[in-house]
Amino acid sequence: MVELLSLPPEIPSAQNMKVGASKFCPGCGHGIILKSLAYVIDELGLQERAVFGCDIGCSLLSWNYMNVDTVQTHHGRTTPVIYGVTRANPGTVGIAYMGDGGGLAIGAQHLVNASVRGENMLILLCNNTNYGMTGGQMSPTTMPGQITETTPYGRDCETTGKPAKGAEMVASIVDPGKSFVARSTVSNVRKLRATLKKALTNVANGGFSFVEVLSICPLNWRTNNKDTFGRLAKMEEFFEVKDFVVPEGLN
Amino acid sequence: MSEKQQYKGIKVEGVQKGKADWYLYTDLCKGCGLCLEKCPMNAKGEKCLSWSNEVGIYATPAVQPDPNICIGCGACALTCPDSAIRVEKK
Ligand SMILES: Cc1ncc(C[n+]2csc(CCOP(=O)(O)OP(=O)(O)O)c2C)c(N)n1
Ligand code: SF4
Ligand code: SF4
Ligand code: SF4
Ligand SMILES: [Mg+2]
Repeated sequence: MVELLSLPPEIPSAQNMKVGASKFCPGCGHGIILKSLAYVIDELGLQERAVFGCDIGCSLLSWNYMNVDTVQTHHGRTTPVIYGVTRANPGTVGIAYMGDGGGLAIGAQHLVNASVRGENMLILLCNNTNYGMTGGQMSPTTMPGQITETTPYGRDCETTGKPAKGAEMVASIVDPGKSFVARSTVSNVRKLRATLKKALTNVANGGFSFVEVLSICPLNWRTNNKDTFGRLAKMEEFFEVKDFVVPEGLN
Repeated sequence: MSEKQQYKGIKVEGVQKGKADWYLYTDLCKGCGLCLEKCPMNAKGEKCLSWSNEVGIYATPAVQPDPNICIGCGACALTCPDSAIRVEKK
């Protein structure tokens, strides 16, 4: 029976409770990632220092999701916008949030250069293996054989090359002394939070962090709840979930 | 949603052998069913968390647990992308 409850829903203070239901589709992984991020910002007391930037793609639907200063930028440009903010105002805990398209296709050059330079920021990449917002086209991380709008017979790696492995690429070019690089997954929310805690702690201490999160897009995948997690399990076999680079003293 | 406000939802009293209450906020639940997949009692083959007769914000079924089976672990709340579930220890 539906009744009127006086106990409010449990929403972290770094999340904007005023907007009610998020703009993401039912069962979207973006909500799991951002809710976890907000809990970790609370836990580390970083709400005042944090600046959140979202890309074009479904990540932009988070323009009013966080209860921290937020900027929404052009496709692929969230990384330079956020390190620009931190350079202008040192001490900022800058978070650039983007999809696999925003980070590994159109914004790949920014990801490479921010990683090499060790910009003081967190790059948080939601890998849902497609261009979610535009209707589910193939992206750099689409799995071999995966059916998308633009690969109706499944991704053929002979013609499209192999899927991009963002965390491995970033891990190979960063300064290991001050960088944290990991791949996580929305299938294990406790572990996702622990990973984000390490990532944000490193940024608060002046370092560079990159976290790729294997995520779910039930709308474009056309999967029900069971098959959504089934596909995520296949992604976890293909994209290794682990901490790739951990600076000394962070654990 | 400001303070002192009331929230539309389902309250299931006395889960975890009476030690906790389980809440679902119907203005937040989008009926995705992810929580059903993460309930450890469902995974054991018991009918703990299942579709409700009540509906969520998109008029799709919400969910609710059988209080006699639910162990109040909060796995459903942890996974819900929309924070629609809350488990409160008494
Ligand atoms: C400069 C530019 N090129 C292309 C587009 C069209 N566009 C909008 S969202 C998007 C892809 C988004 O995919 P991804 O970054 O993976 O995010 P998702 O929606 O999957 O979370 C594209 C290509 C655009 N808005 N701007
Ligand atoms: S299209 Fe996919 S990524 Fe975008 S909001 Fe819907 S489920 Fe999420
Ligand atoms: S609290 Fe645990 S046992 Fe109860 S419905 Fe949620 S996941 Fe299932
Ligand atoms: S409670 Fe949350 S996870 Fe469960 S069906 Fe509703 S929105 Fe989905
Ligand atoms: Mg994507």
